[in-house]
Amino acid sequence: MEPPDWSALMGRVARTRDADSFMRIYDHFAPRLHRYLLGLGVPGARAEDLVQDAMLHAWRGARQFDPRRATLSTWLFRIARNLHIDSVRRAATAAYGDEFANGGEDGTAVDLAQAPSPEAYADHVGLSRAIDALPALQARLVRMSFLEARSHGEIASELHMPLGSVKSSLRRAFARLQNGLTDAAA
Amino acid sequence: MSAPVHHLDPATVLAYAAGALPTAFAIVAAIHLEVCGPCRTALRAAEGVGAHLLGQLGGAPLTAGARSALRQRLVDEPIRGPDARAQALASRGPDMLPPPLQPFFGARYSRLRWSWLAPGIRYLDARPDSQARLLLLQVAIGHAVPAHRHGGHELTMVLRGAYEDVLGRFGPGDVADLDSGTEHRPLAVSRQCCIWAAALDAPLQWQDAAGPEMARHLPH
Repeated sequence: MEPPDWSALMGRVARTRDADSFMRIYDHFAPRLHRYLLGLGVPGARAEDLVQDAMLHAWRGARQFDPRRATLSTWLFRIARNLHIDSVRRAATAAYGDEFANGGEDGTAVDLAQAPSPEAYADHVGLSRAIDALPALQARLVRMSFLEARSHGEIASELHMPLGSVKSSLRRAFARLQNGLTDAAA
Repeated sequence: MSAPVHHLDPATVLAYAAGALPTAFAIVAAIHLEVCGPCRTALRAAEGVGAHLLGQLGGAPLTAGARSALRQRLVDEPIRGPDARAQALASRGPDMLPPPLQPFFGARYSRLRWSWLAPGIRYLDARPDSQARLLLLQVAIGHAVPAHRHGGHELTMVLRGAYEDVLGRFGPGDVADLDSGTEHRPLAVSRQCCIWAAALDAPLQWQDAAGPEMARHLPH
């Protein structure tokens, strides 16, 4: 079955506030964001709250989604990641006892607006190809970074690699992926 | 502020994109990303990679009532116009700290309550979590932080003024994203005091006697 055109669906949501279209987006992406946040080590109930928050942000900010600049999955991932960072930061600032600790709109916040400069972003086919073409170790390190949210130090100790090698492998992998993206977009 | 010339390590951009940086590092990375177009572009690419990998995973179901609760909330939530945040950022006055630093140190440079560290050097210290500390340093022209290496990862960004070390000149918006191998001695070179934010995940390794003397004044 042909996957839905998520960008077009999101465009309809922005124009018409069509909640049913939005719920199709929710049904597909909310469980994936949930899985991502659980992988980051966010406790269950908190992870679900963040998913719901992320989807509400997407609904409220629907007009800021620009399909020329990012896929819907990237945009939603960014919203969830930023909410996660903000929530960790708020927990950290609670000890500092100021108004920012109480859930105000602070920080990196949810960057719904997108970068002002044009961004190279490619279709998923190009990206899949670039990821598949990575050497096995590089692919593994990239996956551990994103799917298990492992810090460089954790990756290094788990794989018995020097920290510097983990970082240089990730640098090479990222350079190859960015080149792959540019090629595919050209 | 002219465009930064010293950027985040791509490995740091990947870790930020994944949400895997300790909070102190994520804060310094965020304040650089706010002012650096090339690093934002790299971040978007990394986010695309992350979103793609996540798409290959199955989902983790939410609890039974989550869907209807969300559906219900859509009714009450208007779709907003363009975010006011960009304008808010643009209109931030020169006395205001970058927002991610404000919860830890206060909102205004003019109200920072610095602690004395060494002649010409003052600091503020925060501990966002157990993994890394976040420092603000203020160094007067002609003064330097004694030569040191890093036990782990150090990420600094200049907020005001400039310093020079073996890696070059660092002005507002420039980051030094350093591994344990690098030895440096940041020397303030601007007429205005140089102020920078630093995230550290391990104690500094001092390379001469002035370092430990200064470090005595830093809380552990």
